[in-house]
Amino acid sequence: MSLLDRRLLVTAGKGGVGRSTISAALAVAAAGRGKRVLVCEVNTKEQIAGLLGAPDTGGAIGRVADGVDAVVVRPDEAMREYGLMKLRFRVVYDAVFENPFVSRFLQFIPSLPELVMLGKVLFHVREGRWDLVILDAPATGHGITFLGVPQALLDTIPPGAMRAEAEWMRDLLRDPDATAVNLVCIPEELPVNETLELAAAVRERLGMSLGHAYLNRFVAPRFTAAERETFRAPAGDAILEAAFRAATAQSIRAEMSARHRLRLEDELAAPVTPLPLLHPAGAFDRACIDELARHVVPT
Amino acid sequence: MTRRSPPLDLERALRDRRVIVCVGAGGVGKTTVAATLALRAAAEGRRAMVLTIDPARRLANALGLERLGNVETEVDLARLRGAGVEPQGRLFATMLDLQRSWDDFIARHVLPGQREALLRNRFYQTLSSALAGSQEYIATERLYEVHSRGDYDLLVLDTPPTSHALDFLDAPRRILDFLDQGSFRAVTGPALAAGRLGLKLMTLGGSVVGKALSRLTGTETLEELTAFMLEIQGTYGVFKDRAAKVKALFASDDAAFVLVTSAHGANVDETIFFHERLAAERIPVAGVVANRVHPDFLEGAPVPDSAALAAALAAAGLDDPGQPPLSERLVQTLAEARAIADADRRSLERLASATRPTPLHRVPRFDSDLYDLPGLWELSRHLFQRG
Repeated sequence: MSLLDRRLLVTAGKGGVGRSTISAALAVAAAGRGKRVLVCEVNTKEQIAGLLGAPDTGGAIGRVADGVDAVVVRPDEAMREYGLMKLRFRVVYDAVFENPFVSRFLQFIPSLPELVMLGKVLFHVREGRWDLVILDAPATGHGITFLGVPQALLDTIPPGAMRAEAEWMRDLLRDPDATAVNLVCIPEELPVNETLELAAAVRERLGMSLGHAYLNRFVAPRFTAAERETFRAPAGDAILEAAFRAATAQSIRAEMSARHRLRLEDELAAPVTPLPLLHPAGAFDRACIDELARHVVPT
Repeated sequence: MTRRSPPLDLERALRDRRVIVCVGAGGVGKTTVAATLALRAAAEGRRAMVLTIDPARRLANALGLERLGNVETEVDLARLRGAGVEPQGRLFATMLDLQRSWDDFIARHVLPGQREALLRNRFYQTLSSALAGSQEYIATERLYEVHSRGDYDLLVLDTPPTSHALDFLDAPRRILDFLDQGSFRAVTGPALAAGRLGLKLMTLGGSVVGKALSRLTGTETLEELTAFMLEIQGTYGVFKDRAAKVKALFASDDAAFVLVTSAHGANVDETIFFHERLAAERIPVAGVVANRVHPDFLEGAPVPDSAALAAALAAAGLDDPGQPPLSERLVQTLAEARAIADADRRSLERLASATRPTPLHRVPRFDSDLYDLPGLWELSRHLFQRG
């Protein structure tokens, strides 16, 4: 089945490799195919709106591009929503949440903040207001903990309110027709190692399906071996020598890109999709996202 | 004593300080910089140790680190000589095992009878692994302990990979919040006062808040939390005392911070913010290291057009093969390199002016990953030529 026909796509990967960029590009690609899309960021500085060239939404659900909404899920707000749902009576709710210590205290209950934040995201998947929800997951270690919360709770806690929540959430995450995890990586040793570990954790620990592995900032080869040989010789011209040094650096990055791509393909058993390194003259903007959106779902 | 010392920089910090803390967002090369600073200090005669968290496998191998578990290992002299370093001092390295450090901490400060139950408690597990800031807290705790022992002239700490460098400074406050009895008592009411024997749902039920919370979390969770708070009560003072000592150490003349960043805009913003915060807390900063800066191959000269480049190729007696021809591809490559170098230069100018007078070190992006001793030595040459 096609990637964009899932109802929930999780974007996971190490910090600084471009997770949000790729979440934004996937959202644009899906919206371009007529889907109604919601991108969820988890307890972080709002990024999706900016990447799509829209004003910040302030964290609430807001329109950030044609067919694309975005929201930042925060623990205190998610907890409030969960509290209202469970406690039903406003007066009890107020007694709990007006207590200045309580919202801080609730953050310390193991897994409760993660559970309510993940619950809010999955609620949006279920409610049918959007065709596709993209979850821009926290960076590697935290991301796995985050997605593993429902199962961790089922393993440890007795029947009760939290357990019932955990059950439907776990099932939705594990349904291969509904949910896939996309991995984001860049062609460098550490990120590739981490991606391989992440892939194993997604499959074995979480029991979830992998979608694509995106190899971001991929550099394609541009010079032949014979040409590269001539770059070594002194050219006797400052500009030409600068060009040769630039071309040599480009070739080394292309070689690294190819090597790391091969390693991912060998060890991952999931489609590896390269996304080109872009060179905008100004800021990294909406035009860059649109360019990447053309690559995220290979035809 | 009003003698003004000359401004702090990396060289002075390596010579005079006893603790250097490297901070920065994940993925900016913090570990490599930390290892390089320790290597340089050892080369110049100090007995230096780098405390790293999760080094790349090849870097760990280069340092001879094969085991986890807080083992302090000396880097073999032959290895250093093989990398072209003739050290006047000695280099040590240790990999911080954060879970182990927490358990050791509990073993030192909690009575034997209460230890086992505490180590098994899920709240302890949250505290030691999942609670935001706990890794940062225990890393400084471990640093402080090694520092107090006084076996080394210089410790270089590679801080845990956080998405925000600020997490590092905020960690102690978060841990203290977590352990603060006040917030806990407000929630569970009389349960804590009732002590271990009275620790039953009945007492928890005494608080409206407790009742409502148990609807959210289940009663067992609350009971377990109460148990945890009782077990760990005795350590609150230790935590508080340690947090204060670490803070004092960081602000003293024994310590210096080094901020590590990439030239990426978001990292630069954060580094500026962090620099302000350190200044506000009067914590000395020895330098800002901007890693992986893209070079401008043309050194400011305009990007030539392909006709000019084709002419240069011809003048050098070279062909212009391919489709598109080599000259065009070279021009495209120069233009791309210029775009990235310009973006880096703009963000580093912003960084330099916002962090003045702290020295800014620009380290070029190397053609390959740097994870061996010769690589570290090469990095140190860039670090110690002021840019």
